[in-house]
Amino acid sequence: MAGPVVGIIANPVSARDIRRVVAHAGSLQVTDRANIVLRILAGLAAAGIKDVVMMPENAGIRTHLGRAMMRAANTGEARFPDLAFLEMKVTGQAGDSALAARMMRNIGVAAIIVLGGDGTHRIVVSECGNVPIAGVSSGTNNAFPETREPTVTGLGVGLAVTGAVPASTAFIANKRLEVAINGRREIALVDVAIVAERFVGSRAIWKAEGFRELFVTFGEPGGIGMSSIVGFLAPVKRASPYGRRVIFDRPETAAFRLMAPIAPGLIEPIGIERVETIDFDQPVALTVNAGSIALDGEREITFSDADAVSVTLRDAAFRTIDVAACMSHAAMKGSFLEPVGKRPAINMSRENFDERQPVSAEQGKAARSLSDHADHPRIRGAAAC
Amino acid sequence: MRTIREFEERLHVDFARGDIPGFVHLYAGEEASAAGIMLHLNDNDRIASTHRGHGHCIAKGVSVKEMMAEIYGKTTGSCRGKGGSMHIADLSKGMMGANGILGAGAPLACGAALAAQKLGHKGVGICFVGDGASNQGMFLESLNLAAVWNLPAIFVVENNGYAESTSVEWAVASDSYVDRATGFGMPGITVDGTDFFAVYEAAGEVIKRAREGGGPSLLECKMVRFHGHFEGDAQTYRAKGELEEIRANNDCIKFFQARIRDAGVISAAEMDNIDREVARLIDEAVAEAKAAALPNQRDLLTDVYVAY
Repeated sequence: MAGPVVGIIANPVSARDIRRVVAHAGSLQVTDRANIVLRILAGLAAAGIKDVVMMPENAGIRTHLGRAMMRAANTGEARFPDLAFLEMKVTGQAGDSALAARMMRNIGVAAIIVLGGDGTHRIVVSECGNVPIAGVSSGTNNAFPETREPTVTGLGVGLAVTGAVPASTAFIANKRLEVAINGRREIALVDVAIVAERFVGSRAIWKAEGFRELFVTFGEPGGIGMSSIVGFLAPVKRASPYGRRVIFDRPETAAFRLMAPIAPGLIEPIGIERVETIDFDQPVALTVNAGSIALDGEREITFSDADAVSVTLRDAAFRTIDVAACMSHAAMKGSFLEPVGKRPAINMSRENFDERQPVSAEQGKAARSLSDHADHPRIRGAAAC
Repeated sequence: MRTIREFEERLHVDFARGDIPGFVHLYAGEEASAAGIMLHLNDNDRIASTHRGHGHCIAKGVSVKEMMAEIYGKTTGSCRGKGGSMHIADLSKGMMGANGILGAGAPLACGAALAAQKLGHKGVGICFVGDGASNQGMFLESLNLAAVWNLPAIFVVENNGYAESTSVEWAVASDSYVDRATGFGMPGITVDGTDFFAVYEAAGEVIKRAREGGGPSLLECKMVRFHGHFEGDAQTYRAKGELEEIRANNDCIKFFQARIRDAGVISAAEMDNIDREVARLIDEAVAEAKAAALPNQRDLLTDVYVAY
């Protein structure tokens, strides 16, 4: 293999859970997942990536990919990198994504592109170490992965890992939450929800009456899922140096009642008792002593008063690829521009670009205080916490 | 779940000994699906089962002793010994029958769902099919019919990975059963069929939706079977060590026991008591079945036609 190798982990069973029944969530067909991978491969190839390694699965993606690439070879199209599959046992369980991420880290892939929702991204991040990831939104709830055409994700990742874009622009350090339960540690990329149900069951959370607590790394008003609650109450950006915690109450007796899109198609009244800011590396104990813990929207762990549970926000815990920044940098450099003939050169000066303005330290500090949102009609009382 | 397991493991032994006429397909390993779904049902709700129907019958409330007698071909059986394993039925319990024709339960469930819709009693019709039978035309036609008529029908695909001996990966073109449901405009969901709680919760939602007029759904339960497709199947299509591995690490009853024990719902001693009671019930069922009379020549001409 010459040059950087990119890994792809495409979860064939994301977007399959009970939220299709309770909330009209979408279903992404297996053939569409394969087409997404093909578009990523086209983007990677155009950016100079020659080798891609993928997680094997037996749900159909591999079959459709093989068929499409065979057809492309037959017709003389050469727009895909060489594609290899990891040699691993396929179980059809979440552990496949974890094992694939671990194997990709060990063989030294330059980046991992993830197809799935928040849950799939969480599993990959739990095992990929310092390998940067780029998400392709294809799960039920997609608060973490940005919505973007996969072709562009392929291009951006290719630009990042070939060094066409400086690392300081290409990669972003992200916060995450760590849940400690006795000796066990789990992570969440967006939110940790504590719910009353004492069983994992079908995993998804959608019954608002059972919500007890919520921790988020970020929550924006345009978000979907549990983090949208924070987005409406006291927004936090992905880059902000803090997180939020929400204590819920029954909608009938709560200090506030908030309508929030807690899942695709599900906008429910949520009883809010209070909102707090959480800082890095400060373990927070729960206010409830039994229930289950949902990581990025899926119940994963049950606990009782015999268990010691805490949640801690961590800084710079894993890396992602800033695809938008990579594309912007490439555009400014004219990376995909090839002079043809004798026409005058296009002015590539920075002035022609409306660059994204980073959040300054002062702006970040100011936004940290909940009192900044005190003029928000729903948060006025909560700001006292 | 324990009753189903004990029933099936006893049949496995007794069939090998040559005590049982006909043919049996065992449900051991798949119990969480039947139990998790049927707990939501009442006698107004009708199910159409498969050739692997013992678990569905037991979970739906059919008498274990009558079932055992039926499989032994005795006059005390659910169908007076004329149905055998693949045709056990008990309409009083809403069990419309095991079925030797793959996929044939789907239109029956549509019929039951249509009846429930017309009678307005909030009942549902549920059909079970395996991953192989889901390729049958009548199954796909039934999905269409149920969607068009907004029937309170639920299509449960019990995906144990093999259509007899053919792997799902080779035989199902759409790759995902949820994709099939989506194609007919109904919600489809996949659950871990070895997790009773996952099945129970998901089934509760799709059944509630159907009762309330929300229409049909498809529920795929991914599961494992502990025995061959049929008793006597050499299972040469399985990987080496596969059976041992799934019995050790993918047993829905072990999962269930661990969860309720850890949650403090029940003690190990109480579970042992349940196991003993179940073992006694199965012993009695086998003894009574063996002692019962076989049908005679006069019985050949009874029950040929059934009046509804």
